[in-house]
Amino acid sequence: MVQNPQAIIEALNDYNYVADEELATALFLLLKLRKPILLEGPPGVGKTEIAAVLAAWLETDLIRLQCYEGLDLNAAVYEWNYQKQILLLKSAEANHEKMAESEIFSDKFLLKRPLLQAILHPKAPVLLIDEIDRSDEEFEAFLLELLSAFQITIPEIGTIKATHRPYVILTSNRTRELSDALKRRCLYHWIDYPDLDKEMSIVQMKLPDIESELLEQTVAFVQTLRSRKLAKTPGVSETIDWAESLMALGYRRVTAQALHQTLGCVLKTVEDISIVKEENAGLME
Amino acid sequence: MKIQAYSTASLSEAIVAFGQFCRSHGLNVGVQETQDALNAARHDVLVYRPIFKNALRAIFCTSPEEQKRYDRLFSLYWDTNPIDLQPDRKNKIAVTGTLQKKNTAALVLLGQGKSNPDEEEEAKNVSGANASERLRKTDFSKIREIDARELEILADRLFKEMALRLRRRMKNRQINGQIHLQRTIRRSLSLGGEPIKLSFKGQKPKRQRLIVLLDVSGSMDKYSFFLLRFVCALRDRFRQSEAFIFSTSLVRITHLLDTKLLNLALINLAQQADNWSSGTKIGTCLETFYDSYGKQTLNGSPVVIILSDGLDTGSPALLHSVMTKIQRKARKVIWLNPLKGMQGYTPTARGMSAALPLVDDFKSAHNLESLLELETILSNV
Repeated sequence: MVQNPQAIIEALNDYNYVADEELATALFLLLKLRKPILLEGPPGVGKTEIAAVLAAWLETDLIRLQCYEGLDLNAAVYEWNYQKQILLLKSAEANHEKMAESEIFSDKFLLKRPLLQAILHPKAPVLLIDEIDRSDEEFEAFLLELLSAFQITIPEIGTIKATHRPYVILTSNRTRELSDALKRRCLYHWIDYPDLDKEMSIVQMKLPDIESELLEQTVAFVQTLRSRKLAKTPGVSETIDWAESLMALGYRRVTAQALHQTLGCVLKTVEDISIVKEENAGLME
Repeated sequence: MKIQAYSTASLSEAIVAFGQFCRSHGLNVGVQETQDALNAARHDVLVYRPIFKNALRAIFCTSPEEQKRYDRLFSLYWDTNPIDLQPDRKNKIAVTGTLQKKNTAALVLLGQGKSNPDEEEEAKNVSGANASERLRKTDFSKIREIDARELEILADRLFKEMALRLRRRMKNRQINGQIHLQRTIRRSLSLGGEPIKLSFKGQKPKRQRLIVLLDVSGSMDKYSFFLLRFVCALRDRFRQSEAFIFSTSLVRITHLLDTKLLNLALINLAQQADNWSSGTKIGTCLETFYDSYGKQTLNGSPVVIILSDGLDTGSPALLHSVMTKIQRKARKVIWLNPLKGMQGYTPTARGMSAALPLVDDFKSAHNLESLLELETILSNV
């Protein structure tokens, strides 16, 4: 088993994920204390990715629940396959057979959604609850209950307890404040934009064939963009996409033409693109 | 409580005391968190101080702001250097102490005993049968001292009734959509199993977000006062309410939207209001709002209410561009201008005319009646 956070950093490195000491310590606590972890931060910094990497490293499945406003029990936990139940009932009626209630509400008619799947999984899975800030307070309250007891009650069947406690990772883009109760139920980690060195090592890891000059120029450029007030600040995923596109187009350095062609990979609004294009018209050569 | 780490007997004790230390400095560290910290300590994670610090940070903090505070507290507690922490009081409205006199907020804001004969004349000129009718129509800035308390009571009652009406309206509105299978089957039980009566899935009414930006400069504070109480009463109706006040700078007062705290806060505000200069920088303040709080609050298409007289000492172009940005993200922008309640007012001031094209509803909100008219707008949102 994992001895210390340093081992986690090294293990994640093998899966091409660059983690710092802070994140590694938080993950260490996730593994040891089995408390859920809440990852907050701006979009595009690798919050969702860490769940996939963790699942791969622990050699277990990743179960993902994407949150949105109006997410309810039926979409998140379970739903009865009504259509199938009614069809079977009707056909039994036609054949003058009787169907017992336990048969109607049996496992074959139970549609298991992510949260139920997670607690019934044969091996402790990684449960990713993505963008929890997009859901509403009612769902948060329900989640709180689930995360404390790790059991789900289905009225027709009874209470289902978790076979193995999943490793729960919640992510949030901080578009709204989460309820205090939920935040305190979890370990907390804020993932910010990386600094120059860290970002270079991340991009290098994802694109091992990239040339050093191109790497330096792209990362430096995105770093300066982040210091400006933009409508949509680019994240690390944008840097990686941009570098990859430049490589695909055969550029070995960032030239004015390259910038003009590929700026859409980094900046995602018209205003940002026009401002930056104007500024860099004469600069890059 | 500044127990230094070296004065405790064992590490466990030191950790528990550290938890209490953090709690006394505003971090939300309860028994559960301390327990988790002790559990973590058992995993030999203490060997290196940075790991220990990171571990406790993940357990004790719930936001990046708390993390910064935690870092300071950590070095204060575990180092042997007793440095004093300076409390951060910039841009925070602290609700200070108890009041000696039992003033109602209304009395203080509406100018204790400052009514002069001319104003009294104007107040009387409002035609109406009984006193409450008259109160509803009187402009807030012209309320006499003796009427202030009555107006407050009347306002509270009417706002409560309005909130109730809005809530009822929400529940009854059901649009026919998909067939609700469970309810249909249930209903068919009494009809021998045939689904003669169909039940439909009503559309879940989405609760809105509300953002209120109030100008509190000069004479605007009286109108802001009543609008704030209005917003408080409607708090349940909206999923998330945020309130800000501005004059030359912007301050967030969402945490004061509890009515009991509100009274004290408004009295403090009134006392500080004299310090504010008369020039209002609407554009700059709105820009501060957009930059600092925009990402957190302008999500989910909120309803934005701005209360201001539109007299901006800053550039109209700035106001126009900020309003454009806000309008794009908001479901509805409502601008309340008390000057509109005056006869013969036209929005010709540069600030007002720059902002007007981006506003969905332009209303007056200068007296109780006009505030209640907002009900129609808000219920149709």
